[in-house]
Amino acid sequence: MSEETKHFYEDLDMRVSQKFSEDLNILFKPHFSIPPEVDRAIMDRAHQQFTQKHWSHRILRHISIWRIAAAAAVIIFAFSLNLTQKPGPATNQSFLVGARAVDIDRNGRVDILDAFKLARYVESAERTEKKWDVNGDGLVNSNDVDLVASAAVRLDKGVL
Amino acid sequence: MINGRVSIMDSDQELIELVNKGDADAFEAIYRRYRDWVYHLAWRFTGNRQDALDVLQETFTYLLGKFPGFSLTASMTTFLYPVVKHISLTVRSKNRRFTGDEELLGEIAAPILKESHSSRSELAAVLAILPDEQREVLLMRFVDDMSLQEIAAALSIPVGTVKSRLHHALQKLRDDRRTKDYFLE
Repeated sequence: MSEETKHFYEDLDMRVSQKFSEDLNILFKPHFSIPPEVDRAIMDRAHQQFTQKHWSHRILRHISIWRIAAAAAVIIFAFSLNLTQKPGPATNQSFLVGARAVDIDRNGRVDILDAFKLARYVESAERTEKKWDVNGDGLVNSNDVDLVASAAVRLDKGVL
Repeated sequence: MINGRVSIMDSDQELIELVNKGDADAFEAIYRRYRDWVYHLAWRFTGNRQDALDVLQETFTYLLGKFPGFSLTASMTTFLYPVVKHISLTVRSKNRRFTGDEELLGEIAAPILKESHSSRSELAAVLAILPDEQREVLLMRFVDDMSLQEIAAALSIPVGTVKSRLHHALQKLRDDRRTKDYFLE
């Protein structure tokens, strides 16, 4: 019977004296302590990671990959419907109900390229401007990217 | 957790939840809770103090890199064991201080073996002739204080295999005249 197939349904007999565990611990546990500088080095690294700027960048990177993927899916969907052949009209300032249109690339219209650009800025946390807070929640983040992306597609589709 | 602050009574899950939110104190609490466990294990794998300290730092750096977004699906020791083992073996092979587990065990037990005819030196001698996988499971159970389920998860083997290895290891110790006195009738 191989080891992998042999099962022990009855309880294992693990009755050992206390001295057994004590001697094993003496044999296999070092008798020197961890120097405080090692503790400090590890905690310094942790505190460095948890500083506000660094941490928000990591969180953004963690969540924005999904947001970017969603925005990309919207773009692919739009292009697959061949909706971009017709030159888009100048930006309709009312295309976002309760929100502000943002021409990120300053080309005179708000389109999917603006969503892409905004996504890149959010991802890199390179720079953001208050005016890019499309949904007016006080933050410039991937929610704004989603809003610009979906609005741009809706523009192209001519819904609004 | 008291008003969102770290307490020594917090479970690992609660601490991880706080670290995921960017709480450095919660990470420190996890570190304080497991650093000795990690260090002892690393020392056992490397047989060298400096290497064990390197492994300790690398293990917690690895853990740090898991945040945010880390979720613990088993116990912390089950998560940490394979990490410490992998890093230790890498450090060990890089430094090429040892060539085999038997030599490593000899190195670890050397100061003890110098004690003439002590029961510990005899225990070390019997352990040295156990197959690696049996000795590993035995030490996980009696030194690292891991449950059979935790050992199985940490080694990615069935609980039945853990029981089998432990059974054979204990049986050899029980049958050996040098170590039979450790066992209760």
